[in-house]
This record gives sequence, structure tokens and C-alpha cells, in this order.
Amino acid sequence: MDTLIPLIAALPIAGFLFTAAVGRRLGKRAHIVPVAAVGLSWAIAMVVVVTALTGGLGEDGHTVKLWDWIPAGAFHVEAALFVDNLTAVLLIVVTTVGLLVHVYSIGYMSHDPGYWRFFAYLNLFMFSMLLLVLGDSWLTVFVAWELVGLSSYLLIGFWYRKNSAALASKKAFIVNRVGDVGFALGIMAIWVNTGTLNIRDSINVLTSETLVAFPIPIGLIALLIFAGAMGKSAQFPLHVWLPDAMEGPTPVSALIHAATMVNAGVYLVARANPIFASAPEAMVVVAGIGIFTALLAASIAMTQTDIKRVLAYSTLSQLGYMFAALGVGAWTAAIFHLMTHGFFKGLLFLGSGSVIHAVHEEQDMRRMGGLAKKIPHTYRTMLIGAIAISGIPPLAGFFSKDEILGEAFKLGFAWVWAIGVVVAVMTAFYMFRLIGLTFWGESRVDKAVEPKIHESPRVMTVPLWLLAIPSVLLGLVLAWPGPPLGPLLGQHGPGLLAGWLEPVYHQGLEILGHHEAEFAIFGIDGVLILISIAVATGGMLAAWRLFGVEIGSLRRPATPERVRALSARAPFLYRASLNKWWFDELNHLLFIVIGGRIAAAAWWFDAKVVDGIVNGIGALTKRSGGGLARVQTGRVQNYAFGIAIGLIVMVGSYLMIGGG
Amino acid sequence: MEGLPILTLITFLPLAGALLVAVLPSRYARPVALGASLAAWVASLLLVIGFSAGRGGLFQFVEKVSWIPSFGIEYKLGVDGLSLVLVVLTTTLTWISILASFKPIQTRIKEYMVAFLILEVGMIGVFLALDAFLFYIFWEIVLVPMYLIIGIWGGSNRIYATIKFVLYTLIGSLLMLVAILATAFAFQDAHGGDWTGAFDFQALREFATTGGGFDPTLQLLAFGAFFLAFAIKVPMFPFHTWLPDAHVEAPTAGSVILAAVLLKLGAYGFIRWTLSLYPYAAQTFAPAIIVLSLIAIIYGAIVALVQPDLKKLVAYSSVSHMGFVTLGIFVFQPQGMAGAILQMVNHGLITGALFLLVGVIYERTHDRTIAKMGGLAARTPVYAAIFGFFVFASVGLPGLSGFVGEFLTLVGTFAVSPVAAAVATLVMILAAAYLLWMFQRVAFGELSGFLAGLGHHLTDISPVEILTLAPLGALVVVFGLFPGILLDTISGSVEVAVRDGASGTAIAIDPIAVAIGLGLVAAVVVVRIVTIPFGRQPAAPAAPAAEGA
Repeated sequence: MDTLIPLIAALPIAGFLFTAAVGRRLGKRAHIVPVAAVGLSWAIAMVVVVTALTGGLGEDGHTVKLWDWIPAGAFHVEAALFVDNLTAVLLIVVTTVGLLVHVYSIGYMSHDPGYWRFFAYLNLFMFSMLLLVLGDSWLTVFVAWELVGLSSYLLIGFWYRKNSAALASKKAFIVNRVGDVGFALGIMAIWVNTGTLNIRDSINVLTSETLVAFPIPIGLIALLIFAGAMGKSAQFPLHVWLPDAMEGPTPVSALIHAATMVNAGVYLVARANPIFASAPEAMVVVAGIGIFTALLAASIAMTQTDIKRVLAYSTLSQLGYMFAALGVGAWTAAIFHLMTHGFFKGLLFLGSGSVIHAVHEEQDMRRMGGLAKKIPHTYRTMLIGAIAISGIPPLAGFFSKDEILGEAFKLGFAWVWAIGVVVAVMTAFYMFRLIGLTFWGESRVDKAVEPKIHESPRVMTVPLWLLAIPSVLLGLVLAWPGPPLGPLLGQHGPGLLAGWLEPVYHQGLEILGHHEAEFAIFGIDGVLILISIAVATGGMLAAWRLFGVEIGSLRRPATPERVRALSARAPFLYRASLNKWWFDELNHLLFIVIGGRIAAAAWWFDAKVVDGIVNGIGALTKRSGGGLARVQTGRVQNYAFGIAIGLIVMVGSYLMIGGG
Repeated sequence: MEGLPILTLITFLPLAGALLVAVLPSRYARPVALGASLAAWVASLLLVIGFSAGRGGLFQFVEKVSWIPSFGIEYKLGVDGLSLVLVVLTTTLTWISILASFKPIQTRIKEYMVAFLILEVGMIGVFLALDAFLFYIFWEIVLVPMYLIIGIWGGSNRIYATIKFVLYTLIGSLLMLVAILATAFAFQDAHGGDWTGAFDFQALREFATTGGGFDPTLQLLAFGAFFLAFAIKVPMFPFHTWLPDAHVEAPTAGSVILAAVLLKLGAYGFIRWTLSLYPYAAQTFAPAIIVLSLIAIIYGAIVALVQPDLKKLVAYSSVSHMGFVTLGIFVFQPQGMAGAILQMVNHGLITGALFLLVGVIYERTHDRTIAKMGGLAARTPVYAAIFGFFVFASVGLPGLSGFVGEFLTLVGTFAVSPVAAAVATLVMILAAAYLLWMFQRVAFGELSGFLAGLGHHLTDISPVEILTLAPLGALVVVFGLFPGILLDTISGSVEVAVRDGASGTAIAIDPIAVAIGLGLVAAVVVVRIVTIPFGRQPAAPAAPAAEGA
């Protein structure tokens, strides 16, 4: 283990260094080393994952110390890696989706002149993301946190000649940094309170009841950590960077901005669960911001016409669900949804990339339609993804989303549940709107492009199908309570995932005082499940009514006139959704217009006032030495004047101090 | 090694080089200068090997020769962990700067190289001097060659910039001389008129920390004088305005050495001289200095945002970054002190590299206006990649060296005042904003018309230019991953500095005196604002038809 665990992260960084150094000369073979590195990393990760989840690393996980990173006396931070069951679960998503995206990119990026650069960046990202989940101390996680930010910056701005891409990459980095300020301050507070930055040690100190009051209240620490999570996971009001991040190549959107990096915030809060458990007020904030983001983003996703932006807002919304789950204390449900979402959203994004490829880099769904027959693999896999995310049983999303909603209700957060149900309707609606506009009905594709539409090569469709498998089955598998059909028979054992994560959440759950309620299929749980299914179906049917459907014999044409009528009925809501609630405009006003004015004013102050005083004093001395100035050059005269002042002060001080 | 006066050797090797350059024909100027600076560099690396980090808080390799016995003035050099890392920083950056000057400097090469080597003598001397008078001498030696470098090989408005630079720093240093003398007088007074040790740092320190200490009034006045000298050099807000002007006018290598080493002289002075000799005054002034540091950090970054000139932007980023150094020193926490010293080294490496990179583009375009740039990533990819690397190092990306120093400073600050730490941490956003915005405008998008117009003159970075940047890049990575190398060396010095600084308690100051003082400052400010000639440039003295044009 002591060699295997470091290798998981070391292989991708080696791939990055190699490709960065010589990739340019490798041409179309540049992908071999990076893909092999990630493939090997995946294989090793699977060994580690199986070992961990079968209890091979013990309940408390396994630490591999690498070196003393910052040995500054009392402030001592080790460079060390750590694997426990939570890390293992994250490793499954990160390495699997990562590997599939690498493979897919061989096809997707094959015509790009920056082919080698793309794979170098992807490897850098994989390293950073793996370090993030493997980090043993807060500061190691913070390092990885910033490095994923860097990789994201590089990949969003991959097509740097496009101004929009350059702007989006910068925006992503800076908005993330807003959250990072909170995270950094949280880390400082943790050190000041506990004297250690090791994650488990510091949590143990923070949550032990015997200690006297801390200098920094624990609720504040929780909120500071959450601020970091809000940046990386794009929660309101730091959500504005993620939709713009779609400027990056689509595999990047799938890997970084859907399946892995944006989950970092969820991971962080789950990792810090005992801290949050000790600060119930902070948890309410988490739940509130999470469910609000879910609602806000879903409302925007309903009217967007760019296929990738719909998916981006959908990602925001689903991340909101995860934070809502974290906030109500349903930590297993949050990680459950993180996993299922990682696979089906990765699938949907890669599918959208395949669509965009097929219609020659068109992203506007108004210029798609009727693609189902022309790109069947893409269509079928995306349909699976859409059913999964909409929460139709027995696909993966149903289980994880239902667990979030059910737990929220049962833990006494009825408002979270109620909003969550509304979001569930909207989710099914916007997903089937996307499917309808893209794949069903009449083709609206550009006539010149129409005959050239083609299915993507196998190197791209195979990853799609491989992602479709967990999108279907993962929910069933992870929720499985052991013996066959346990939950349906009213027999409650913890699901597979819950069992894995029990050691991680044990401490936090104890602080919260949650006890597992009996699972009653013929009681409250059954009702909640029925409501979940009903709302998902309702949203789907509404989308079918407006945007058509073509599944087997189930056929209905789209009704654009109804869409128009509906948007005319609520013009404000429609415009708000279309304009993303004007957040970009607000930020432009606050930070570009007003912020720019402040900066310009500061510069004026510097040049005219601060420097003006300096020059003024200079001018004054020059004038007062006017007689001398005629004989001497200004410079030497000023010099002399300086010496004269010096002498006067010198003698004066001597007299003053010597005499006193 | 004890027999060999290695510190003297390191200090005066460049002087020997300068003499050699002066007597040899000018075609030998470049290789001899490079050779001399490399020799000093190698000697400083030998010093690293010989240095005992376990006793890093003590002065090692001390050399002592009586110089002006009647006043107890000695030629005394010694090295501790703090001065060691700064000496190596100096010797490293000097040979890099000399190498980087080969192409850009084409006139009066001989004089230039002589000036540069004498500059190195002064800088190393400041870091090694253990006698206050000797320290002052070296301090002033630094001024002259820098004055010449900017004044002769500088840009179009160089005379204005040099006058400002010289006068500004001279006023500070003269007051410092007064303070040194006053301290010596007080010392001999306390020792019954015996001058022995009156200028000796170690004797002064012992007296100040364990032997009774200096009179509070003297401490306040002397600290004030030292503060002015050092604050101008760092530079701290509001004494920073000479820096952007000096940077803009200085030749590339001048900017590099100015940012990388000269600014550190002030920070070094604070740690070495003021904390140990005037601990009570240091405690008294610490809150004000912390506030000024916070202003520098945030204000420097905000002003950097709107700079149209690459060099000015980097100059203001220096004001912001150096704010961390003074902040870290005056919170009197081990983490803060260690962070401040790390920040000194890292700022030297990173900002030095950024000025080199600005120089690379200036060599090809003879322009530094950000608005005229654009699209370099496509045209000069290697240059853009290296530039991007140092931009992110300056942003404070973890894994690179800048992060550790900043974070330690922030941790130390947080322990004293979470609010101050929170304010300083905001620079994480601002630094990303001004640096990435600059980088975007320079590197991304389509190639700008201005750059496209240069045609084949716009070549990618050359091997020699890479050679000047490679050591800096390597150190940025090494110190980012293994900051322990530096931390182990300086830990003893950190301990001593924090202990000395914390040995005092704040002196109660007469509030009426403070009010009068602040009132006077406010009056000057108000008068000045009222008399601003709106719409005109800051009153730049008309450059006299100067020598060396």
C-alpha cells in the first residue's frame, strides 16, 4: 500500500511532465503516455479501493507519509496521503470517469493542433484531483484545491485565441479564489484552535468536549470551509463561473465541470462532517444555499438553448441537491448522489460532445432536432442519462435523489424536501426538453451540415456505453442492503454505500444524535418514494407535451405554439430564466464598473496625493534653496540640502539626548 | 574553513572583479564581470555548506578587525541563517542579472559592469555587517551604483526617477545615521564613557535585551529614524512612490536587482537592527506598522489592477507582496517571522523572474504597454509558458514557493488578529485578478496588430534568456515543495528575532503628542490635495541636461 497509494497520484503527474516536455514532438501519438498513465493509475486505484472497502486498511484508513513539507517549528505540515472508505469511494468516480474521458478525448480532440497540450493538462488535472481526495492534511487538500483550479483554468482557456475562452478561464479562477479565501482562513483558524493541520487529528481536537473555549468558534470554521466548497462546487452566489466554463472542450466539461472537480466541495464538507455536526447553524446555511442553488439553476436550465449550458445549469442544480443533503445531515445520500451524478452527468456531457461533433460544432439546440436516427449510440446513451438524472426508477438517479429528499423530510427539513420536489419536476422537464429538442421531431440542422451528420467513432461511443452501465445500475447496487430485495420486504439494513461510509460518518452522526429510522416501505418511505416517482414522471410528461416524444410507439409532435403561449403567460419569469437572473450583469456592475472605478481612484490617489506630496516636498526644498540652485545643478543641490537637514537633525538629537 | 575569511572573500570578490573590469579592455568586461559574480556565488554556496544550521541563530564565521578604535568602530562581519539566505539570494540574482545584461546593455559596458559589481559588494555587506557604522557604509554604497545604473542606462525619464530614488533613500539613510550615532552615544553613556562595543551589533543587542535596554525616548526616536530608512527601502505605504518610477526607468537587470535584493535590505534591517535594539519601540509601533502593511498589501494590489505598463504592474505587485514581509515581522509570531523571511526570498526569485520576462518582451518590442500586447501564447509559446509559470508563482499557487511564505505569514497574523489576517487574505483574489488579467491581455487572444507588425523580430525566448530564468524557476519549485531547506536554515534566526521583538512592551505614548503629529501630517496632506494641479502630470522636475545621456 505504501507504494501503491502514492503511485495513483504519481503516474498522472509523471505523464504530465513527460508530455509537457516532449509532447509537442509526438504529434498524434501524444496521447499514448497520458492515457496509459491514467489507465495504470485506475488499475492501482481499483486495487486500493477494493482493499479499503473490504476492510483491508482498517476502520481508520491508511496514511502514507512522504516528507515533512513545512517544518516551521510548531507549524508542522507533512506531505502525506491518506485513504479511507470515503477516499476510496471518490477514487472510483475520479479514476473511472477520468480514464473514460481520456479515451474519449483521443477521438474528440484528434483534429486539434493542441492535441499534446490537451493531454498534458488532463494529466495535470488528474494528479491534482487525486491529490485532493488523497490529501492527509488540510493544507495538502488546499494545495490540490488550487491545483485543480489551475488545471481548470488551463483547460477552460484551452482555445486561448478565443477571447471568450480566455475570459471564462480567468473568471473561473478568480471566482474560485473568492471561496478559497474562506477556505484558507478556515485552515488558519483550525491551526490556531488545534495546533495541527492533520485532518483527523484536528477534527478530534475540535469536537472533543473536554476542552475550554476555542479562540475561533467552530461554527465560523464550518462556514469558512463551506465558503471554499461554494467556490469549487459553484454554489450561489459563486455559481457564475461554471456556465462560462463550458468554453472549454467538452471532455473537460464532462470530467472537471461535472464529474470530479465540482464535487470537491461536497467531498470537503463530507470530510469535515464532525465539524459541521458540531455547528448546527452552519448546517442550516449549507442546506439553505444548497437547495436554493438547486432551484435557481434548475429554473435557468429550463430555457437555455445551448446544449452544454443546459447541462451546466443542471450540474449546478444537482450539486445544490448534494449540499442540501450535507446540510440536513444526510451525508451518505450526498456522496451517493455525487457518485451517480458523476457517472450520468459525465455521460450526458460526453454525449453532448458527440452531438456537437456530429452537427459540426453547433451547440444551439434550436439548430438540432431529429438526430435520434442519425447518431443512435449517442442518442440511446444520452436517453439513459436523461432518465437517470430525472429520477425514474430503477435507474441510478432515482435512488440517490430519492434518498436525499426522503432523508431531508425525515430529518425534519420539510422545506428542503418541498423545494427539492419542485426541483425534481424541473429536472425531468429540462432534461426531456433537451432530449426532445436535440433528438426528436423535425431536423432544424443547417442544410449544409445535414448530409454530413455522422456518428462518432468507436473510441468515443464505447466510453459512452461504459458510462451508461453505472448510470443504470449504480443506484441499485449501492443502495442494496445485502440480502436480496431487503428494502422492498421492509427489512432495513444499511445499503452497501452506507455500510462503507459508516466509519467515516460515525463521529459526526454521534454528535448530531441521528439514529437510523426504520425504513418503512408501507409507511412514510413508501409515500415519499411515490411522490418522487410521480413528480419525476410529471416533469417528463410536461416536457413531452411541449417538446414532443419519440420512444418506440410513444409518439407526439412538439408544440412550439404552446411553448410560446406559456412563456408569454409569465413574461418576467421567462425573461429571468433566459437571462440567468441577471447575475452576470450584476457582477459586471459590481466588479468591473464599480471595482474598476475604485481601482482607478486608488491609482489617482497614488499618483496625485501620495506621490504628489513627495514631489511637493521636493519642489519646496528646491525653491527654498533657490539661491544655490543658480550655481549648482538641481540634483546636487537637493543632495546637499538633504545632508544639511541630516546634520541639523543629527546635532539636534545629540544635544537633546546627550543632554537629557 | 575557520581560518579563511570567507565572508570578506564573498563580500569583496565582486570588488576585485570590478577592479579587473576597470583595468582590462572593455571587450573583457562581460566575461570578467560574469566570472567575478559567479565566483562570489560559488563562495556563497561554500558558505552554505560550511554553515551549521543547528546553530543558525548564532553568528558564524565572525571576522573582527578594529577600525576606528577611539569610537569602538570595528570591521565586523558575521552570518546567521537570515543573512545566509539573503546573501545567497544576492549572489544568485547578481550573476543572473549580469548575464541578462549582456545583450540589452550596449553602451559603456565597462562602467555598467563595474557599477553592478560594486552594487553587489554593498548588498552583501549590508547583510553581513555586524557593526552599525559598517552597516551604514555598506547601506550607502548600495545607493551610488544603483543611482548610476538607472541614471545612465535607464529609460527616457531616468533623471527624474534617479533624483527621486536617491533623495528619498538618502533622507531615510541620513536619519538612520543619526539614530546609529545616538544609539552609540547612549551606549557609551551607559557604560561610563567606554566606547567599546558602541557600534557592535552583538554588544548593543545584549545591552538592549538583557542589559537594561535603551531609554524609551531614545528607542522611539531611533526606531522612528530606522523605520523611515527601512520603510522607504521596503517600500512601505506611503513611502513607495519612488519604486514604480525607478522600475520603469531602470534597465531590466536594474529592475531585477532592485526588486529581488534592494527591497530586502529594508526588511532585513527591520529584523536585524530594530527588533533587537529597540524592542520597546518595536512593540509600540507594531500596530501602526501592521496597519500600514495591510494597506500596502491591498492598496498595492488594487493599484496594480489598473496599470497600463507591465513594469509598473509588477512594481505595484512588489508593494503588495512586500507588505506581507513587514506584516509577518511585526506580528512577532514565529510563523509570521519565518513567513516573512521566506517571502523575502520568494519575492526575490519570482519578481526577479517577472522583471526578466518583461525585459525579454521589451527587448523585442521596445514597449511595455499591456494594451499593445496580445496573442503571445500562439506566437511565442515557450515564452508564454514560462511567463505563465511565474505569473502563477506570483499569484501564490501552492506547490510553488510563494505560497508557503504567504501562508505562514497569514497564519502568524491570524494568531494575533484574525481580522488582519482576513484583510490580508483578500489579496488572494486581487493578486489573481491583476496578474491573470495582465497575462490574458498579453498572452491570449489573437496576435495584436502591434506585435504582428514586428514580423520576424518577434522571436521566441532565446537560450540565454532561458538560462537566466531556469535557476529561478527551479528554485521556485524546489522551495515550494521543500521549504524545509530554507526553514531549517532560518529557524534559529526566527527564534532570536521573535524573542528579541517580544522582549519589549509597548511604551505609553502621550496621546496629545500623537494627536499633534497626526494633525500635522493631515494638514500637509490636505494642503497638498488642495494645491494639486488637476489634469497635469505629477510635478516632474524638468530633467536637467544631464551627463551620461
